[in-house]
Amino acid sequence: MFPYIFIGLSQAEKSTMPTKNVVEERISKFKNKGKDPAKLREKRISVCVELRKAHKDESFLKRRNITLSSLPDEEALDYISNDMVAVLPLDEIIKDVNSDCKESQTRGCQAARKLLSQERNPPMKEIIDAGLLSRFVSFLGMDDEPTLQFEAAWALTNIASGTTWHTQQVVEHGAVPAFIALLASPMLHISEQAVWALGNIAGDGAAYRDILIECNVIPALLARICPDTPVGYLRNLTWTLSNLCRNKNPFPPLSAVMQVLPSLIQLLHLGDKDILSDACWAISYLSDGDNDRIDVVVKTGIVSRLVELMSHEELSVMTPALRSIGNIVSGSDLQTQAAVDAGVLKVLPQLMRHSKASVQKEATWALSNIAAGPCRQIQQLITCGLLPPLVEQLRNGDFKTQREAVWAVTNFTSGGTVEQVVHLVQSGALEAIINLLQVKDTKVILVILDAINNIFMAAEKLGETEKLSLLVEELGGLDRIEMLQNHDNETVYQAARTLIEKYFSDDDVVGVKVDSTDDSFVFKTSDVQRTFEF
Amino acid sequence: MELNDANLQTLTEFLRKTLDPDPTVRRPAEKFLESVEGNQNYPLFLLTLLEKCQDNVIRVCAAVTFKNYIKRNWRIVEDEPNKVSDPDRTAIKANIINLMLSSPEQIQKQLSDAISIIGREDFPQKWPDLLTEMVTRFRSGDFHIINGVLRTAHSLFKRYRHEFKSNELWSEIKLVLDTFALPLTELFKATIELCQTHATDINALKVLFSSLTLISKLFYSLNFQDLPEFFEDNMETWMTNFHGLLTLDNKLLQTDDEEEAGLLELLKSQICDNAALYAQKYDEEFQPYLPRFVTAIWNLLVSTGQEVKYDLLVSNAIQFLASVCERPHYKHLFEDQNTLTSICEKVIVPNMEFRSADEEAFEDNSEEYIRRDLEGSDIDTRRRAACDLVRGLCKFFEGPVTAIFSGYVNSMLGEYAKNPGENWKHKDAAIYLVTSLASKAQTQKHGITQANELVNLNEFFVNHILSDLKSSNVNEFPVLKADAIKYVMIFRSQLPKEQLLQAVPLLISHLQAESTVEHTYAAHALERLFTMRGSSNTTLITPAEMAPFTEQLLNNLFKALALPGSAENEYIMKAIMRSFSLLQEAIVPYIPTLIGQLTHKLLLVSKNPSKPHFNHYLFESLCLSVRITCKANPTTVSSFEEALFPVFTEILQNDVQEFLPYVFQVMSLLLEIHSNSIPSSYMALFPHLLQPVLWERTGNIPPLVRLLQAYLQKGGASIAGSAADKIPGLLGVFQKLIASKANDHQGFYLLNSIIEDMPPESITQYRKQIFILLFQRLQSSKTTKFIKSFLVFINLYCVKYGAIALQEIFDSIQPKMFGMVLEKIIIPEVQKVSGPVEKKICAVGITKVLTECPAMMDTEYTKLWTPLLQALIGLFELPEDDSIPDDEHFIDIEDAPGYQTAFSQLAFAGKKEHDPIGDAVGNPKILLAQSLHKLSTACPGRVPSMLSTSLNAEALQFLQGYLQAATVQLV
Repeated sequence: MFPYIFIGLSQAEKSTMPTKNVVEERISKFKNKGKDPAKLREKRISVCVELRKAHKDESFLKRRNITLSSLPDEEALDYISNDMVAVLPLDEIIKDVNSDCKESQTRGCQAARKLLSQERNPPMKEIIDAGLLSRFVSFLGMDDEPTLQFEAAWALTNIASGTTWHTQQVVEHGAVPAFIALLASPMLHISEQAVWALGNIAGDGAAYRDILIECNVIPALLARICPDTPVGYLRNLTWTLSNLCRNKNPFPPLSAVMQVLPSLIQLLHLGDKDILSDACWAISYLSDGDNDRIDVVVKTGIVSRLVELMSHEELSVMTPALRSIGNIVSGSDLQTQAAVDAGVLKVLPQLMRHSKASVQKEATWALSNIAAGPCRQIQQLITCGLLPPLVEQLRNGDFKTQREAVWAVTNFTSGGTVEQVVHLVQSGALEAIINLLQVKDTKVILVILDAINNIFMAAEKLGETEKLSLLVEELGGLDRIEMLQNHDNETVYQAARTLIEKYFSDDDVVGVKVDSTDDSFVFKTSDVQRTFEF
Repeated sequence: MELNDANLQTLTEFLRKTLDPDPTVRRPAEKFLESVEGNQNYPLFLLTLLEKCQDNVIRVCAAVTFKNYIKRNWRIVEDEPNKVSDPDRTAIKANIINLMLSSPEQIQKQLSDAISIIGREDFPQKWPDLLTEMVTRFRSGDFHIINGVLRTAHSLFKRYRHEFKSNELWSEIKLVLDTFALPLTELFKATIELCQTHATDINALKVLFSSLTLISKLFYSLNFQDLPEFFEDNMETWMTNFHGLLTLDNKLLQTDDEEEAGLLELLKSQICDNAALYAQKYDEEFQPYLPRFVTAIWNLLVSTGQEVKYDLLVSNAIQFLASVCERPHYKHLFEDQNTLTSICEKVIVPNMEFRSADEEAFEDNSEEYIRRDLEGSDIDTRRRAACDLVRGLCKFFEGPVTAIFSGYVNSMLGEYAKNPGENWKHKDAAIYLVTSLASKAQTQKHGITQANELVNLNEFFVNHILSDLKSSNVNEFPVLKADAIKYVMIFRSQLPKEQLLQAVPLLISHLQAESTVEHTYAAHALERLFTMRGSSNTTLITPAEMAPFTEQLLNNLFKALALPGSAENEYIMKAIMRSFSLLQEAIVPYIPTLIGQLTHKLLLVSKNPSKPHFNHYLFESLCLSVRITCKANPTTVSSFEEALFPVFTEILQNDVQEFLPYVFQVMSLLLEIHSNSIPSSYMALFPHLLQPVLWERTGNIPPLVRLLQAYLQKGGASIAGSAADKIPGLLGVFQKLIASKANDHQGFYLLNSIIEDMPPESITQYRKQIFILLFQRLQSSKTTKFIKSFLVFINLYCVKYGAIALQEIFDSIQPKMFGMVLEKIIIPEVQKVSGPVEKKICAVGITKVLTECPAMMDTEYTKLWTPLLQALIGLFELPEDDSIPDDEHFIDIEDAPGYQTAFSQLAFAGKKEHDPIGDAVGNPKILLAQSLHKLSTACPGRVPSMLSTSLNAEALQFLQGYLQAATVQLV
């Protein structure tokens, strides 16, 4: 037989978090190609279109202050809780705020703050349209009127928690430098309010985040971290820091990252779950980038702490820790090795069997990226018992997890040694991926066909192609692959056809022309005699 | 072209002419239209005509012409001129939706197609208002218009079901969702309300239900890639209504047609697909709704009839249940004993019944029946879906399901026993049920390979299958007979040997059944049984065990070929081949009769070869007859030639292309049996074998090369004597073959035979040219496969003509050529040579170069002596180097020399492995030791000094081993 050399799609990508989208059609050839381990890893790509609802388990981008998390300092006795603030109609608020009388101003600010703190439909636009923002911002600078300062800060915080447009109004009225100055307030509750407001502004997106960074928000924030800072304050501060690490396109400047990291590391060693959660989210944002970004995180030596936090009992801590490690193992072999050395493979099995589907999915995603590594990492993966949970996920997992698990199999089969691939097949992975050939997802189907082809290549090396063909048939794979020859997607059709041609049937080739008469070919050498050089 | 009445009139006339049955009128008109279609306004003319022309025929014709025009011209290909002017593009897009919607259905369909072609190119960027324009129509209240819009939307969006995720695609979907999802939802709700208000108006209902089906299809497309936020938020609306529609029945919508699915079935079928999509991909979000759908779908199944029109619906619905019941967290929906019983009783059993449509196929369309039943092309059938559901349920409930079905099987068998004539279908269903319950894994080669341990297959065989097989009237209840035969066939690996042996004579008698399915199954079952392996690599059923039945088996097989409908039955022919192969010499007494029947068959099918498998097995059977008979008595070869050559001649003369490769192979087989000389009948054919036209067909190349090799082997000398003028033609074939990367190894096979079998003097004058051609090819395209063949050839040459001759001919072509080939080709590449014979040839050849070529000792080639020795030791000791350079992945490469499985390759015409060196050299390592010894005694001291200066230590150690084994010492 003259087998056609199989040329097809081999997207051994570092697969993406299902929440994000990836543009990654890398075409490479089969046979011994496409096995460059560095290329097997790909990351989440930042520009992405989403059809799904935004994810629920991530930390909030912005938070509205409805009740104070920590009470104001002792000396700020004139703080009045929401219940005690009088309800004023908007026009009176406007009048009060615009008056020159400090008491009226305070009363107006308080009433505005109360309106803005109401659970449903706070009248942000009305307050903005009434032109009150410039007043509020000017009140921020009144160090001798702490109550007014505080109420204005609170009102602005809540407006900044709205849509981008709302935040924009706050920023354009000059609130940024005012809030940064306010961070240094001796009144802890006022400073905390500023932390909060800045967190909301930073959470709006990369542009405001960078404006804040340029205004030196980071040193001002970090200056507030000291041994006796109350936990409530630290929680807010960590959240704001995490928003300063957040967002891509562009990423936060590397210099800012370097500034924040030591403090984040410090925070990651505290015991409070909220602080840990936000600090982990911060690390997850910082590690969600190219290998240089990952490197900065890995070099801090935090990887083993993150792996430890993957076993944290609180979902809110474990989730971002897992995400961070997932990002790190999407990096280079060396970076992945750091996570492997820190024991990630010992933790993943329990996470892959976690009761929450989203945790299973993220853990499997991480596994798929480790499986894209060199064969020694694949060996560690086998040794640590990751194959049974992987096969369980392929069989019974939620679809999103199954998709990651399929990637894991394909990555494994393109980088693993023949023995490792055999081991994988014996663990039941082949049967499971064959069953998945009926999923309603074109890409997953293609990735499975890719894995099957890889497994055949391993079988070729063992001289057991025929045995594998029978096994695939027995498992119902031949029927399914034959059916895929009717698939509407051209690439899937091609891949299925090539598999069938290569391993389940025979075929012919085409020849070339030489001079001839009717009776015979003409045997002759060309007249021009060149010098031979081999 | 100006848009005026005169031009419109002309165009109308030409369009009319394109419909003319007379090609002399039609063709020029088509040509004319093609010649003017590049003009501006041309498409607008067509649109005007399809809108305003009085003649309906012309309107439709204009619509079709327009659609084809769009199909050919709309896409803008890079570097090619824009074939539709921009003003025309704009005008078309501005008007086509309106036109489509206001046109009668025939034209609407064409325009809808055209819109989707345009949409594929222009939507969304270059056709931004398309969606809003479509959405606006939803509010028209006119469902003819609305359905037009929905149909167009469906053709635009259905690609979301199979394209890969990409930012571009998802941006488009997002845009569609933003504008379309809400209006679609509103329309969905409104349509359902209208269905209620018009519940008694059949015409209104028909239109509304087509809308609902289209809406459901759109739902599927829009939800395929991922669960959109909008649909997640509106899941309640959609799912509640889908659920409602699933449970809805309206007498008015029931159709009388038995075959064609009605609107209600189409809609429900699509809803099942939608539910399956959500269950599979969006399980987390869909969970709250799923139990309701399970119940609804299962009720639907229970209440749906056996008519063919429900097949798709039933199959989709069962597949939905099958996919859900396998998932661990839905296990609880099924585990209740009553639920399981009711699924088995009301869903599975009824859908396994043999229906009248099956019966018709069994009788009148046996080929299709066999394809579905035996070869598994039954993907969308109810039986297949029911089988899948059984397997799905067995994942968690194997015990209970088996128990429930056992009860059913028993009661169905009981029914059958009461009145077989009336109730035979019950037994059919019982057997089918047992089969689907018992089979867990299956291959064509081995049948069922894993069975449900809870089913006692042997007991069932003894109690229920054997009786049908033993029945004295093979033509009674043919379906049950076919079932019984199939049972033996698929469970052959599970049944004990004594049962199989008991079945063999019974199967043989079923070969006589009139029913095509039945005798085909019998032949197939026998063929499969004969391929089963017993212990120690022999067949499970031995020729001795077959002895009592041999005559009847052969008789019945050949008689079956005479049954109506089975003249070219591939299963029977395959069984004949397999019987020959199994029985071996036991068939010899029958051959004189059988060969006549086979050649007669061959003559018949060669008139019009239509069944490739049948023909293939026919030739295999011929080969087996020849081999088996001639093995015992080679002189009988002439009687085969007598019988076969007349037919072969006819095939060759009529150039029956499909059969030529077979004929060449059988002829090779025959010729190889002759002891020494070539009969004249073959010689006459020789010149014809060199005709280029034969070699242009790739399928001929391997068998022709083999045939020429047989000619050379048996008659190299006589060709050199009486047909010396044909030698250039023979070499021309070689030249042709080495020019192709795919066939060059075949060229070397031929060349090797020429060197080996032709008298040396007959090719002396061509030798230099041969080498020049090889070097030219080496220079222009040095592939691994070529190098491997090249190395084998030059070493064979060296073995045959001596090392000096090799060195001299190389150096005569170009000074120092021999050294270059040694250094650049032999030393670095010899490790790649594969195959024991090939390696041996290279070892002996290189040994000769090392020890019998003075130039290696006395010229500048001397520096290559040790590296060459080292390479030779490497060839002996190192694992084969199977690396292939990167750029060679694209060439067709044969895995190993020797052609294997081109389709026409006859397994039983197999060529024996040929070893040109043979026993002359038993152990090449010893030969090397002895030859080195001889060399060292001729020039004492030189060999040890060359070894000690540059041979590496490991190689030296191996070499010392060879010397010891040969008990020689170097001096």
